[in-house]
Amino acid sequence: MIFSRRFTQQLLDLLQFLIILVAAIVILVPIYWIVSGAFKQQVDIFQLKLLFTPTLENFKIIFQDPYHLEEKLLNSTLIAFFTVIIAIPLATMAAYSFSRFRLKGERIMFVTILATQFVPAVVIVLPFFILFRDLGILDTRLALVLVNLSLIMPFAIWMIKGFMDSIPIETEEAAMVDGSSRIQVIINVVVPMALPGVITAAIFCFILAWNEFLFAVIITTNKAVTLPVGLSMFHAEEGVLWHLISAAGIMIMMPMFVLATLIQKHFVQGMTMGAVR
Amino acid sequence: MASVTLNEITKRWGDFTAVDQVSLEVRDQEFMVLLGPSGCGKTTTMRMVAGLEEPSEGEIFIGEKMVNDELPKDRDVAMVFQNYGLYPHMSVYENIRYPLKVRKVDKSLHAEQVRIAAEKVQLGHLLKRRPRELSGGQRQRVALARAIVRTPTVFLMDEPLSNLDAKLRVNMRAELKHLQHELKITTIYVTHDQIEAMTLADRVAVMNEGVISQLDTPERIYNDPANLFVAGVIGSPPMKLIPGKMREGTFEHGEFSIKLTRGDHEQCVLGIRPEDMEITRPGDGIFSAKVYSFELTGESTLITVILGDERIIVRGPKDYRVEIDEQIGILLNPENCFLFDSETRQRIRI
Amino acid sequence: MRDRHLKYLFVLPALFVVTATAIWPLSQSFYLSFREWKLNRARDSKPLWEYQYDGLENIAYLFDNYLYALEDDLLWNSIRVTSIFTVASVLASVGLALGLALLLAPGGKFRLTVRTLLILPFAMSPALIGVSWRFMFQPDFGLFKAFFDVLIPPLADMDWLGDTTLAMVALVGSDVWHWTPYLTLVLIGGLATVPQDAREAAMIDGAGSWRVFMDVTLPSILPVLAVCLVLKTIFSLKMFDQVYMLTNGGPGNSTQTLAHYIYFNGFKYYNMGYASAVSYLLVIPMFGLTWIYMKLVFLKK
Repeated sequence: MIFSRRFTQQLLDLLQFLIILVAAIVILVPIYWIVSGAFKQQVDIFQLKLLFTPTLENFKIIFQDPYHLEEKLLNSTLIAFFTVIIAIPLATMAAYSFSRFRLKGERIMFVTILATQFVPAVVIVLPFFILFRDLGILDTRLALVLVNLSLIMPFAIWMIKGFMDSIPIETEEAAMVDGSSRIQVIINVVVPMALPGVITAAIFCFILAWNEFLFAVIITTNKAVTLPVGLSMFHAEEGVLWHLISAAGIMIMMPMFVLATLIQKHFVQGMTMGAVR
Repeated sequence: MASVTLNEITKRWGDFTAVDQVSLEVRDQEFMVLLGPSGCGKTTTMRMVAGLEEPSEGEIFIGEKMVNDELPKDRDVAMVFQNYGLYPHMSVYENIRYPLKVRKVDKSLHAEQVRIAAEKVQLGHLLKRRPRELSGGQRQRVALARAIVRTPTVFLMDEPLSNLDAKLRVNMRAELKHLQHELKITTIYVTHDQIEAMTLADRVAVMNEGVISQLDTPERIYNDPANLFVAGVIGSPPMKLIPGKMREGTFEHGEFSIKLTRGDHEQCVLGIRPEDMEITRPGDGIFSAKVYSFELTGESTLITVILGDERIIVRGPKDYRVEIDEQIGILLNPENCFLFDSETRQRIRI
Repeated sequence: MRDRHLKYLFVLPALFVVTATAIWPLSQSFYLSFREWKLNRARDSKPLWEYQYDGLENIAYLFDNYLYALEDDLLWNSIRVTSIFTVASVLASVGLALGLALLLAPGGKFRLTVRTLLILPFAMSPALIGVSWRFMFQPDFGLFKAFFDVLIPPLADMDWLGDTTLAMVALVGSDVWHWTPYLTLVLIGGLATVPQDAREAAMIDGAGSWRVFMDVTLPSILPVLAVCLVLKTIFSLKMFDQVYMLTNGGPGNSTQTLAHYIYFNGFKYYNMGYASAVSYLLVIPMFGLTWIYMKLVFLKK
């Protein structure tokens, strides 16, 4: 039997549609699994029911004794915030210099900085663990902020430099000819123009620091535990408390979904270091 | 109000010499155009005057003052950039006001001075807009207004019209000319467009490969080119250059010869402008040739003929008509012929 | 530009931070790898080179950690696990991403909606992904059991995380779920730069859609594809979070990756010297890959 061209085309379109639909479902199901688990009672988890009476009980429990997720929430927020607050101004200054000037050994410096993002985190944490132990700052937010900087800096510098490169240098030159000193150029022209890019980079870095796990699991034990590490505490004698893990999971992922969606386009570029536009 | 003097300035980047020992004096209130193809060093020369590049060698004077070590902000120049260099986060008003603000001009004068500058370029009604809400021509005007809002010693303009469409470019050209006449401020203007150079300049410096090829008034650049480079750049279409030799008072090319009062030269080039050739019947002219194509431009006609290996464009009267492949005769007036040495590329005058 | 000092002043703080937080630990680990350092014993035990031996033996002792590594079966196991995981996850995620990118590239409302979903898995904490996949693989009431109960009942009673092969499949699966959507976005970005007029010219010249893909589309996205491959290889080699949360290296040591093995030696057995030596086995291929990656990235400039 010979199909008409038109019919074959329609069949192909339908096939494509179905594949994309399946892909979308595969992406969403694990997320849905957590979300639904968070609103189930423990009994419903065991029964695998599609229909269940949603409850907010789990969100109450995770903030109570003995879990106190709010402490982990505060740790995660403060650690990510301070990592970003320290990294972004330094990265912005460096990015400006890399973007606008010729420096001696510029290429070496720049490539080295970027390359450090690929150093396995487990290698970085070995000496830091010994150092922090000797300084007595294991299990503190400060310690985690310090190691997180190693994760954030290369991305921050790269992303902000990318934004700076796309700002026409003519505008700065115009400001200089118009009578500004270098500092005035930076304050009046560069910072306002680069601000959207800097904020985007800050959000990207916040997400990285928030999701960071390896440093946190090694350096923190109790006081400075972050949300991802905190997931391990939902165990009881009868086994894993999946309904509570799911509720905590929502607290971890939802804010990041919002932030990532805000900077969607740049999120992709940030990770590949602009190898792709 | 001041002259600008460049004293043997050179700019090198590594092995590459962008500007090579250029000396130039721009007189007070003069409109000087730096003309040349891209990469000839004209923009670099201007940027050194602005202080955006440091010369590797040589001295730059604005008025009596040596400014080599002055920062751009202390040179009292105003510059219009090719892509305008507007501040995207500021309104038109704030853009124009910015030079007054950073130069600490008395605040009470700002509004009035911005208004005057804006009116001069017909921007009065757009002061609240952001640059991205403006058309190309309007952005150009903002950049101009920002340059004239204070009275600088020197105006620097870097291809200011190159991003405008053809019609707007003609309008803005006239306005620039008028503005400079009115403000009487020394101006250095960089362009690769020879028509802009011819129409705007008091004097033109034609640049090539980092040096000034010829510095003269537009008339003399056109009527009296000093070398092959200038001859090939000026005119649209430019001068036709035909290689040949001078022997006993006659220029000889494989296909034709013409009597010229010059000495003997083994290798030389004859230059003739399309508008200086005259069309006659075949056999009557200096040579006859077959028509390759025929174009109407409105105010004249362009006839391309084939002579040996050469294609020669001739400008004819606007009502002239001819068919492709027809034979026509071309008449050359020896007085309109230029002769150049192929080796030195300089004019042969005797 | 002037500002000769300013420009260096601006780079200095960032350079200091990077040196202190990345380059110092990297070199310090190297130094540690030559020490017999047990955290739970002596506070600062002797460097290996201070042991007194004669001649060759002395040198051999200096490399004690490295020599031990050669005979450490668990290490070889973790290298094997890392290799299998890396090859499987890289091929699966980049391959699926390429297919999905081609399907999603044309645009239209439906496709654009699906594209916005692609950002979600990558914004999720990998540790959380590990936990949630463990939840899904739970043998009694997990999602996969429910799924197979309905569709393929004989498969429903598999204990995914209790079987050495299936645990690896699960680990690769969770990682592919994490990375494929992101790589798809990257490749869609790459496809957007394929010159439309070149594709149209090829079609007019008589190429069918397969030829257009092979002759125009694929060559233009090859650099992007290379970036994806190298980037994913780097991150697969470093893989830790999901191993820790999903399988914790088990069952047995069947999913113990190098990063996880280093963690185990350093922070469970407190054998920092040995952990450092092993970590250099991870760092060295990383240098090579980073070099390739930098070449790819800066080639474009």
